[in-house]
Amino acid sequence: MIIRKRVKMAAMAAVSSPRPHPVTKIYCPSHPDAVLVEDYRAGDMICPECGLVVGDRMIDVGSEWRTFSNDHVGKDPSRVGDAQNPLLNGGDLSTVIGKGTGAASFDEFGNSKYQNRRAMTSQDRAMLTAFREINTMADRINLPRNIVDRTNNLFKQVYEQRCLKGRSNDAIASACLYIACRQEGVPRTFKEICAVSRISKKEIGRCFKLILKALETSVDLITTGDFMSRFCSNLGLPKAVQIAATHIARRAVDLDLVPGRSPISVAAAAIYMASQASADKRTQKEIGDIAGVADVTIRQSYRLLYFKAAELFPPDFKFDTPVDKLPQL
Amino acid sequence: MEAGSEPLPLDILITNVVCVFRVRCHLDLRHIALKGANVMYKRDEGKVVMKLRRPRVTATIWSSGKIISTGATSEDEAKIGARKCARCLQKLGFQVRFGAFRVVNVLAVCSMPFEIRLPDFTKQQRPLASYEPELHPAVNFKIKPLTASMQIFSTGSITITDTSGEQSTERAEGARPEMRRKKTETTELLAMAK
Repeated sequence: MIIRKRVKMAAMAAVSSPRPHPVTKIYCPSHPDAVLVEDYRAGDMICPECGLVVGDRMIDVGSEWRTFSNDHVGKDPSRVGDAQNPLLNGGDLSTVIGKGTGAASFDEFGNSKYQNRRAMTSQDRAMLTAFREINTMADRINLPRNIVDRTNNLFKQVYEQRCLKGRSNDAIASACLYIACRQEGVPRTFKEICAVSRISKKEIGRCFKLILKALETSVDLITTGDFMSRFCSNLGLPKAVQIAATHIARRAVDLDLVPGRSPISVAAAAIYMASQASADKRTQKEIGDIAGVADVTIRQSYRLLYFKAAELFPPDFKFDTPVDKLPQL
Repeated sequence: MEAGSEPLPLDILITNVVCVFRVRCHLDLRHIALKGANVMYKRDEGKVVMKLRRPRVTATIWSSGKIISTGATSEDEAKIGARKCARCLQKLGFQVRFGAFRVVNVLAVCSMPFEIRLPDFTKQQRPLASYEPELHPAVNFKIKPLTASMQIFSTGSITITDTSGEQSTERAEGARPEMRRKKTETTELLAMAK
């Protein structure tokens, strides 16, 4: 945090900083209209007309040190304090007792005498713990900074509302992460969030619904296309197969071949069909592992798709295995 | 079955009525467990479960005298079942006074003759309907400001929960026009696809 200080010009020169002449301040008795010149060396205010020293012992509030451009950045002495987290805390304007330096600050056992270094409100502490947890979770699945920021904001809103006070903070954090991913247009499945959090899917689902009610928002429905790029790249499938799978899934939903099936299952079945028709075949088990779907579920959805397989593929798809040779389960 | 013409008769079956009542005296659960017939003692949770045959209800009894009865198929049946349960307790020797009978929840089931496309339905009924395919395959449709809540499945089955039997029926009738819109689109598309 930079504390901007007014730097007074050197008073040796005749130029003084233009300041409006305050009524209650000092002025030269013989020249009341004269703007006083400050001599910073001696701390005096001098009248430029007659040279009378009018004020005495003026405190210079200029900076204590000079900073040069080629100085090491980390040692800039005019910056004080940590980076502020203004939106998400009560403002970082608290005073903390720093670590002791001399021998006198340690008692006989080697512990520092002043132990209570950080006096934060318990609210702030809970929020900071949650932010750290969110960061860890997001880090595990490589989520970008904007999603993490959105999650933090959501968590703060929910926390301040106190509707979900009884729920575990970790559960609320996981649910906020889920909502943030959805809102940013890159939804993660509940199972993916479960994988990086210690909370069960049920609890995250419950918190998710409660948060939506508390914040009075809603989220868009998930579509099959949201997950295609992620699942396909995790399986190492080429772009053509990914495009084909996306097309298959979309056509299947449009034709309403899979009513009532979760979009994840439909996506998994579409990937299976596309990969089986191409040179890069993947088994149901592999796809099930990546998507978090049971392979019987893939089999069920696949059967519904197989029925109309010929119409689902994109027109320009290169078949390694023709449609009639696709596995029938 | 023409779309948008006169309303079809809907078969709305009440499948479950939950009610609470009090017997206005403390009950010794251990005594009930030992001497009562058709009871199950859940000591860890501090309750006794009593199952009656006719009407087929299950009553959960707490030692404070509060009883929850579930499984009845109509509100009158629920009352009869509650009274029967209180009578059983009276025969076991407790000074029972039947009071504070209140129907808490009525679950009704009905089935639309057509399938429903849930994503489109949800988009239309945005703030009232909530659909999370990962969590539950049905759309949760809350009819505000009333206390009713409906679960709509893609096969056309609907379950309605409400605090009173007549209200549930009303709700089902009321929600039908919205679903009818979805139905016509569905049947058209299915016809095109085939």
